[in-house]
Amino acid sequence: MSDLTYETLVALLVEKFEVLPELIRPGVTFADLEVDSLFLVELLLVVEREVQAAIPDDAINAQDTLERAVDIVREHVATAGTR
Amino acid sequence: MTRSAHLAGIGSFLPSCRVPNAQLAARMDTSDEWIRTRTGIRQRYFAEPGTTTSDLAAEAGARAMKSAGLAEVGAVVLATTTPDRPCPATAPVVAAKLGLAGCPAFDVQAVCTGFVYALATACGLLAMGCVDTVLVIGAETFSTILNPADRATSVIFGDGAGAMVLRSGHTAGNGAVGPFDLGSDGTGRDLITVRAGGAEQRRSGLAPAPGDEYFSMAGREVFRQAVEHMAQSARAVLGHVGWQAGDVDWLACHQANLRILVRLADVLGIPEARVLANIAEVGNTSAASIPLAIDQAYQAGRFKAGDRLLLSAFGGGLTWGSTVLTWPDLTHP
Repeated sequence: MSDLTYETLVALLVEKFEVLPELIRPGVTFADLEVDSLFLVELLLVVEREVQAAIPDDAINAQDTLERAVDIVREHVATAGTR
Repeated sequence: MTRSAHLAGIGSFLPSCRVPNAQLAARMDTSDEWIRTRTGIRQRYFAEPGTTTSDLAAEAGARAMKSAGLAEVGAVVLATTTPDRPCPATAPVVAAKLGLAGCPAFDVQAVCTGFVYALATACGLLAMGCVDTVLVIGAETFSTILNPADRATSVIFGDGAGAMVLRSGHTAGNGAVGPFDLGSDGTGRDLITVRAGGAEQRRSGLAPAPGDEYFSMAGREVFRQAVEHMAQSARAVLGHVGWQAGDVDWLACHQANLRILVRLADVLGIPEARVLANIAEVGNTSAASIPLAIDQAYQAGRFKAGDRLLLSAFGGGLTWGSTVLTWPDLTHP
């Protein structure tokens, strides 16, 4: 298992999901990025590979900021690590 | 195994009624852009009134037999979610339509994984020496079970058929099919289902709830499970055959959703240029999708003998399965 950093999440969004870098700024939410309902499912599949830990489908929602999403993933990685 | 299965012929068939996204947008709350961005689908084909699964299956089967240069086969195995009737199976009707009197024929039901299961079943018949050739067909008239009020599923599925003729052989090499990885998880049956019409609903003593006679699917959960199970199954079969992801010339997966295909290729480390994708033109044709996608790519001249294909599918059940195929030198176009 490994942690997710904000920089890694941004890199995934830009490289794998073609999110425009200029849209990414502090406090931006997934809803602000105008992604659709399937996007978060796809993102979690990619993030799970990155951190090598399972994250439930509903862990992140469209109203979460990118910073909040990083925290949520870290919490799941930490919990999985102490199981 | 001393006997192995080889691909001897392939064919496919689409019904005549082409339905572009705009036609669906005219009768339900959706749009061409909504459908394209979420699924990659631009159009699908629906069977005209009076045309059933056995009609599509027989036409694809006839084309595959012609491609194999055969007038007869030893058995017919049909994968379908939409049989002509709940009872009996549709394969005997298909065999009769093809003039295959007395030929063993039966259906395999594994929803969108059906064709991979049917291929495995056919390989078993060949390996046991029951027959020397098997016509394996995936055919659907999925339009007959779509809920017109459910835009999420109505825009995804289409009708069609694809077929392969397998012949027994004693060596590996070009044309060889297998090994296989197959699996299921019945605890997930509610994710992809037609709730009414079977023993469960009939024995309940209750009339079907509105909409229960139609197909339903939990899209987001299915998306995730599809990618995870196909990736796991594909890796297992690559391990069995001793190939790396880089050895795969073509990823021939069930055409469920373009975004699933892209994500699966990414997870497996297979470049998108090697992914067979015809979903934009035909939609999700369930059990027909793999042979239909492979036949269209073959007809377009995309394969050369010796190309390595990785086949993988996920569907209701839940079910999943994968196999590999080395493209043969097909001499009968």
